[in-house]
Amino acid sequence: METLSFLMEGFAVALTPYNLMFALFGAFVGTLIGCLPGLGPANGVAILIPLAFTLGLPPETAMILLTSVYAGAMYGGRISSILLNIPGDEPAMMTCLDGYPMAQQGRAADALAISAVASFTGGLIGTIGLIMLAPILAKFALTFGPAEYFALFMLAFATLGGITGKNPMKTVIAATLGIMVSTVGIDISTGTQRYTFDILELYEGIDFILAIVGLFAISELLFFVESRMGGGRKKMTVGKITLSFRELVSTIPTQLRGGVLGFIAGVLPGAGASLGSFISYTLEKQVLGKKGTFGEGDIRGVAAPEAGNNGASSGALVPMLTLGVPGSGTTAVLLAMLISLNITPGPLMFTQNADIVWGVIAALLIGNVLLLVLNIPLVGLFVRLLSIPPMYLLPIVTMVAFVGVYSISHSTFDLYFMVAFGVAGYFLRKLEIPLVPVILGLLLGPEMEKNLGHALVLSDGDWSVLWSSPLSIGLWLVAGLGLVLPVLVGPILRRRMHAAMKESPVSD
Amino acid sequence: MTSFGDRILGLGLLVLAVVYGWAAQQWPEPFGGAEGVGPETFPTILSVVLVAGSLYLMIRPDPDAQWPVGKSALELSISLVVLVVYTLLLEPLGFVISTTLAVGTLSWRMGGAPLKAFMTGLVSAVVVFVLFNYGLSLSLPGGLLEVN
Repeated sequence: METLSFLMEGFAVALTPYNLMFALFGAFVGTLIGCLPGLGPANGVAILIPLAFTLGLPPETAMILLTSVYAGAMYGGRISSILLNIPGDEPAMMTCLDGYPMAQQGRAADALAISAVASFTGGLIGTIGLIMLAPILAKFALTFGPAEYFALFMLAFATLGGITGKNPMKTVIAATLGIMVSTVGIDISTGTQRYTFDILELYEGIDFILAIVGLFAISELLFFVESRMGGGRKKMTVGKITLSFRELVSTIPTQLRGGVLGFIAGVLPGAGASLGSFISYTLEKQVLGKKGTFGEGDIRGVAAPEAGNNGASSGALVPMLTLGVPGSGTTAVLLAMLISLNITPGPLMFTQNADIVWGVIAALLIGNVLLLVLNIPLVGLFVRLLSIPPMYLLPIVTMVAFVGVYSISHSTFDLYFMVAFGVAGYFLRKLEIPLVPVILGLLLGPEMEKNLGHALVLSDGDWSVLWSSPLSIGLWLVAGLGLVLPVLVGPILRRRMHAAMKESPVSD
Repeated sequence: MTSFGDRILGLGLLVLAVVYGWAAQQWPEPFGGAEGVGPETFPTILSVVLVAGSLYLMIRPDPDAQWPVGKSALELSISLVVLVVYTLLLEPLGFVISTTLAVGTLSWRMGGAPLKAFMTGLVSAVVVFVLFNYGLSLSLPGGLLEVN
């Protein structure tokens, strides 16, 4: 009941005209970001952070804006999956399997409509799950001491590569690099200058926002330049909706199953939205197996992964909001926003910044409704925007990233840094070093060091305190599993996902 | 299949890790005496982890990615130069002129027709400038076009 009254307060925050306007704007921009080529959700949210700053938005509004963008991007990813057989983002991969065949059969409008409805259901289930689970987890997290937090951070890094990750050692290297960058600047507890080389701009440390924008936006531009994918895509026609009400009703069980599975995958460390949509799709195929025409344009094959990935995206917010430990790239970027707003994420946020947390959760619910309403009539517009060639789009996006970073500090020093991070990001991606752990390292590094320090001060320098409580031992074990499992199970899962992709008729 | 990429990266990271760890040992003891955890404790751990990681990379490298050669490499360097020159000229030339040039050049090099590319640059520059300076009252540098 307590939760319900908090939620009502959240609605009171989210439903003010000012916040509602930003939620609508965010949902629209998010859908665009999701469907445009070369602009993933993490990338898109990252570019918007400096802008949200310079606009001087109050914290709850800024968070509502960014979460709406996040939810919108999950909706948008499906559009290019269905129409072009090119997933707009990774979780939308499974939607290609049945979405594209439907489009080829002239049922693109139906596929878009059913996927919008399924996204809505998935998002709704995920958000309800978030509302129920988050306060419980937050209360539990209050029992964590510094040693447990330190172990939790290790767990976050270890599982970030995901079960499908390729080389866990590269995840470790990436995370270490990120944390190393975060140690630049004056040490908070002793005042020692670390790695500042007597450069004034480095005393305060390296602003992680420009690092994130550089790593994502600039490296993306460089990738496009290299592969010369600048050309546009052919125009697509959508046609009229022929979906019957009965067909829609027939997919409801699929949507519910997909949403629940997706949510679970989203909450669990190391799974994430891609796995959520994969599991939802495979399960649906098993359950309905013979009765369905999966892979040839079954509407349930569109509904399941979409419900799954939207459920997962809400689920991924649970660890981010309650523990301050994000499980995916985009939630890591949302965490960056929270930290820069001077809000300490974690269990205390639920008591100290209740208006923000519940405002964001209410905004997710409202955002889902807005997205459903936006997506059905406006799909034609999004489709038209989809055919903007990246050669015009990406330079503009890069310029917006420059403007955003410049407007934070009005110094070109930051811009050079951003470009440098972009180049580093390009090389790291080329060498298959994942970027998300780098960013998580940048964000969590200072917290990690602080907790390590506290734990050791409390124990008088005894290192065994880090693995002395049952809870921290458990966390260390899961972290260990997170590094070992990808080596054992990863290849099998990856092969299966690949096989599933191969079964589908390839385009052209 | 060669795997020079990972080996070179591993070597670079090893050097970085050693220098990073060594630098941490040089800091003066903080005021108030040494404690269990000093400013150098955490960096030292990181440096050890990175040494281990870089050795692993050199011993068991992954196969190389396709590195850009010839024209792609040239295009990449051009884009980088554009970004650096853009930053350099942003304040002296002003936002509109430098953005038109930067966005235009990038679009053109990515395959756009020159006229269309620079028009895209000009239009986007003016729109963003007006939006920021008048709509949001954040000042982007006016540069040469500044009217005093």
